[in-house]
Amino acid sequence: MGWDNTTLFVDDDPADRAFRAEVRDWIARNLPAELCNRSIRIDPPELKPWHRKLYERGWIAPHWPKDHGGMGATLTQQIILFEEISRVGAPTPYPHGLNFIGPLIIDAGTPAQKAKHLPPILTGETTWCQGYSEAGAGSDLASLATRAELDGDDLVVNGHKMWTTNGHFADWMFALVRTDPKAQPRHAGISMLLIDLTSPGITVKPIQTIKGDAEFAEEFFVDVRVPRENLLGALNDGWKVANRLLGSERFTTGHPRNAAVLLNKAREVAELTGAMREGGFLQKLATLEIELLAFSAYYRHAAALHGRNRAPFSMAPVIKIVGGELGQRASELLVEAAGGFGPLAGDLTVGNHAVNPAAEMFEMRRVTVGSGAVEIQRNIIAKRVLGLPS
Amino acid sequence: MDLLLTEQQSLFAETAARLCLDHGGPRRLRALRAAGAEMDGEAWRAAVKAEWLATVVAEAHGGQGLGAFDLALSLEQAGRQLLMIPLVEAAAAAWTMSRAADMSRASGALADLLRGSRLIVPATEAASWRYGGRAAGLHYDHRDGVLDGSIPFVAYGRSADTFLVVIDAGARPVLAMVPRGDVSVVIEGNVDGSTSSKVTFAKVHVPAENVIATGAEARKLAVQMQEFLMLGAAAELAGLAAAALEVTLDYVKLRQQFGKPIGSFQVLQHRAVNGFIDIELNRSLVYRVLAAYDAGEHHPAMVSAAKARASRAALEITRAALQMHGAIGYTEEHDIGLYYKRAMVLAARYGGELSHAGAFSTLTHESAGAAA
Repeated sequence: MGWDNTTLFVDDDPADRAFRAEVRDWIARNLPAELCNRSIRIDPPELKPWHRKLYERGWIAPHWPKDHGGMGATLTQQIILFEEISRVGAPTPYPHGLNFIGPLIIDAGTPAQKAKHLPPILTGETTWCQGYSEAGAGSDLASLATRAELDGDDLVVNGHKMWTTNGHFADWMFALVRTDPKAQPRHAGISMLLIDLTSPGITVKPIQTIKGDAEFAEEFFVDVRVPRENLLGALNDGWKVANRLLGSERFTTGHPRNAAVLLNKAREVAELTGAMREGGFLQKLATLEIELLAFSAYYRHAAALHGRNRAPFSMAPVIKIVGGELGQRASELLVEAAGGFGPLAGDLTVGNHAVNPAAEMFEMRRVTVGSGAVEIQRNIIAKRVLGLPS
Repeated sequence: MDLLLTEQQSLFAETAARLCLDHGGPRRLRALRAAGAEMDGEAWRAAVKAEWLATVVAEAHGGQGLGAFDLALSLEQAGRQLLMIPLVEAAAAAWTMSRAADMSRASGALADLLRGSRLIVPATEAASWRYGGRAAGLHYDHRDGVLDGSIPFVAYGRSADTFLVVIDAGARPVLAMVPRGDVSVVIEGNVDGSTSSKVTFAKVHVPAENVIATGAEARKLAVQMQEFLMLGAAAELAGLAAAALEVTLDYVKLRQQFGKPIGSFQVLQHRAVNGFIDIELNRSLVYRVLAAYDAGEHHPAMVSAAKARASRAALEITRAALQMHGAIGYTEEHDIGLYYKRAMVLAARYGGELSHAGAFSTLTHESAGAAA
């Protein structure tokens, strides 16, 4: 019997199996080959035609309700789309519009906000970024200091946002801003604001990452006027609005596919370098493949529970922690497998495609920090699941 | 995590939890150890009466026609309560005997096993069969039906009435029942009070009526029986690890140092969370593989993955549990050490982390490809 480390990604439901076959066939015929297996990330402008194609096929937002342009699909079908796109080494659309602010606008937006923002998120016309983190507010997000003061029909924003993925490509930002500096607890004085990044008073600067690309940016706000109607949810209700999201986003950001792809690359590279004949490498590979199998089983289990509204609270932080840390360990094994090629800045050619082990490893450093460091996730499980005291 | 059980399965799991709670626990294990008993006769009679063995036997042969997945619901509870019963072994024997093509030779013994009047446990050394290796300890003369040699590390050798022996006799393997009276058993005690026996066959005659299967059929049944043993032990370990973590959580919530419960310290919290995550993934993996096993759809590497991981996780969690208990964890008096010792035994039994990681590597290496 052949072995495939995605063996546990099989679908139990015949309808899901049929959907997967349909998706796989369509991707084979429609995906531009130049988007596959790129070692440096693809910026939003280059991704727009692919986004548009998925939109035209009706598959861009499977998890959105039908009356807002989605498929009203199950979580499993959304996962299948993600799996099939990443299976061939292609990028999935950026999540900030589709997975983050889109569902929040559907949930908490006014009719005007829905009409204005949802259609261009679906078509890919607008690029969104998330303005949460600041220089002084990372894991302790509630300490954020960027403030917005009411002045007539506007809110006037002053401050600084940082670590904003795609900030330098985005048309709009959804930002958490302080609207009541005296509120206690601190998160009670925060609002969610939709900010047009072409507004006067905004300066955006890209930040170079350890990987060598400019994934994120920082934004400076000086007396930026944002119409009050751009508040999402009520004034000072932003923390609650934001927290309605956390959870389902983990299903794609922490997917076991990331580690599966990296381990297969490690295997290919190890064949090339001879590491595949070394006991130490094989032992480590087996350990990580076993972890991957366990995580895949957990992931399937969690998705099945989520589909029945029976997912436990611990699911999202567990997926975040395990998906991130397993991906990291897989990327480290890839670098080990490459031996002397590991620290090369340039690409390595394996078969008919390029692999950049160092870039893959750098990329994976991000996943245990972004959107809530794994240490914070562990704190959350300790308190809310295990009931450990403060 | 919620296993999405059917109503019948939920009921079974609840009953099993109750039975194991009533009959097991650290105090009971201590009493057994003090009495030098490898097995809890009373708990075993209760398990037999509750018809747990029948779970894995087809209805046509007096069973309930369910699967290893269902049995694991009780194994997990037995693990949680440190129950010293040969459930994995007897169920593996029942599963295997009830699947013989010719049931005429096995049916009487199987009925005895299900009734509780005869304890039959597997005696097998050929775990390496699963990936092309060969066992070397036994010789079998097909012409005269004479068995010679020995098998080490047999569980419940002290209590067994009959051994279900896997004989790797070259091209024609044999699966046969050998009564206890025909063998000599050298018993060694394990750290948890269980035993590990070396069963020696000195030119034992195996009459034809005791041979359950031969050739390809015997090989297939033997491999499946070994997999059953591995998965069963993995399910027991999953329950044991979860119980050890619960005992530890209770402790760190109470124990005060620096004027606070030590469970408020982040270092200990993160250790506990790592244990929790390990347990969650273990359960999902073990039950997923069990379901595949019951459907006959599992890759043999998955079984090794489940046993390797369950063994590793249970040892890591019980070691962390000892550390979080501080000095009291190092005493004979405190119960947490019992979980550690039991984990050691079940982790080593039917292959520990490294041997299964090695098996996993061998089983996946040849056929692996960049399929993702």
